Amino acid sequence: MSTAGAIWTIATLTMREALRRRLVAALAAISVALAGISAWGFYRLSHSTQVTTGESNAALPLAFILFMFMFSFIVALSASAIASPAVSSEVDSGVLASVVTRPLRRSDVLLGKWLGLAVILAGYTAFVCGLQVAVVAIVSGYVPPDPVAAGAFLFAEGAVLLTLVLLLSTRLSALAAGVIGVALFGMAWLAGVVGSLGDSLHIPVMRTASDISQFVLPTDGLWHGAIYYLEPSAYLMTQLSQDGGQNPFFAAAAPAWSYLAWAGIWLVLILALGVLSFQRREL
Amino acid sequence: MPGGDPAMLGSPAVHAMELRKEYRRTVALAGLSMTVGRGEVFGFLGPNGAGKTTAVKLLLGLARPTGGTAMVLGAPAGDRAARRKIGYLPELFRYQSWLTAREVLVLHCRLLGLPRLSWEREAGAALETVGLTGRGQDKVGTFSKGMQQRLGLGVALLGEPDLVILDEPTSALDPVGRHQVRAIISGLRDRGTTVFLNTHLLEEAEHVCDRVTVISKGRALASGTLEQLRRRSAAVRLQVTGLPPGWWQALDGFGRWSAEGDWLRVRDLADGQVPDLVAAIVGRGGRVAAVVPEQQSLESAFLDLLGDH
Repeated sequence: MSTAGAIWTIATLTMREALRRRLVAALAAISVALAGISAWGFYRLSHSTQVTTGESNAALPLAFILFMFMFSFIVALSASAIASPAVSSEVDSGVLASVVTRPLRRSDVLLGKWLGLAVILAGYTAFVCGLQVAVVAIVSGYVPPDPVAAGAFLFAEGAVLLTLVLLLSTRLSALAAGVIGVALFGMAWLAGVVGSLGDSLHIPVMRTASDISQFVLPTDGLWHGAIYYLEPSAYLMTQLSQDGGQNPFFAAAAPAWSYLAWAGIWLVLILALGVLSFQRREL
Repeated sequence: MPGGDPAMLGSPAVHAMELRKEYRRTVALAGLSMTVGRGEVFGFLGPNGAGKTTAVKLLLGLARPTGGTAMVLGAPAGDRAARRKIGYLPELFRYQSWLTAREVLVLHCRLLGLPRLSWEREAGAALETVGLTGRGQDKVGTFSKGMQQRLGLGVALLGEPDLVILDEPTSALDPVGRHQVRAIISGLRDRGTTVFLNTHLLEEAEHVCDRVTVISKGRALASGTLEQLRRRSAAVRLQVTGLPPGWWQALDGFGRWSAEGDWLRVRDLADGQVPDLVAAIVGRGGRVAAVVPEQQSLESAFLDLLGDH
């Protein structure tokens, strides 16, 4: 079997498992429920007689970003949840022993699992972004400037965490890999908040720590990319003029290409480490 | 005889030389050497914890040896191309519980690289062979352990392998299932497939194996046919009286002995040595009242072997 064929076989198996185990259905159901709740909120915000049109126009983008933050958290949690048992649980149960003794490379198995999980994550991210944009547009008429780019950044953020947790899963139990992955994601987000605080308080070392964190684990840097593409230009200008945009739910600029290149290199390096780790793992 | 690379066909199915595996301070295999010929049904016998499963994992490339070498089907252990011709039933047999039995088999057909047109036929034949014909559409998660082990055996038989490695293949089966497994192994032998049967069940080996290796504490203690193994630890009991002081010198060169009252028990006698032993005792002035050959079962031979080491 060719390498591409083997990777695709494992990828389709991984996707089928997510569908059969109703993981995707469960995620979709909870997302629909949350989008329903947001519909009520956005309707009240856009139709309230107590706020002016200007106030409403300023509040809608922020509310949308906050909801997308919640969905980014769900995407990250989902990435961690689907990647953490991908290797470790199948090693522990013995399922992988019958697969890796077939004529395929271990790298094919891991890359196939990554591809399958990434497709699931991409599908879920597209669904949740599309749903949220549609719901908000229907109830309030508000549409963020570039939801597709924002969705792509949201997926990239999830893919980074997915890749890291998959690496951890080649060595640690599913529980340990998942908990560590979520904890690191939370720390990276907190480091972003610390950077914003450092800007507000004029403490450069806090900004430096935040910048370093965004290179070590690029989830928060990519989340800020998503934020940027959800900000209408009027909202962007207002935020910059008011407080210099020093809050954790604001991005003054799109991530630099060099940063995106680093995020791509980071992902490839971690995936390669995962392959190496799985190749060396004794089953 | 199943197909394969002609250059590799002349080589043994399995050849291990001083194979070692250490896990930190634990020595799982302490220099295992053995050869399994093509077409043999080979029994790999040993008590629990002897290192049998570790050896199988090394042969399949699931783990790396810390010393020694192993060749499987003429290629280094774990070789990807050779794995195409190996069927494996793990000791811990688990398959995707959310797939049906037929889907598991089709998945393994894909992983083996078999032509797409043959998948359904292969899966159907495997289900029939292991007695799961009516359960092909059922989810594996609904199967009993015995049925999952049957499915695992079916998976191991896909693609007409040259070598089938079965690790404790009847551990979850009832007597009927065990009988069926023996029939399947006999069928494989008839087809010229090498079977590597890893078991601690002597009865299983006794029924189907052409040759066995007994392993304990990570080392091979003995290899040969079952008859050779029985004879190796065969003993003769003699009732002897009238021997003078220093009588035991009469037994020099006649294997290992022990005495209890008038009875001597002598082990490791070479073929045809009994008359010479009797003559030696008589020559020293002893009287031999009875000579009783002990019928060794495989179990007592196995226990003798383990007891000696």
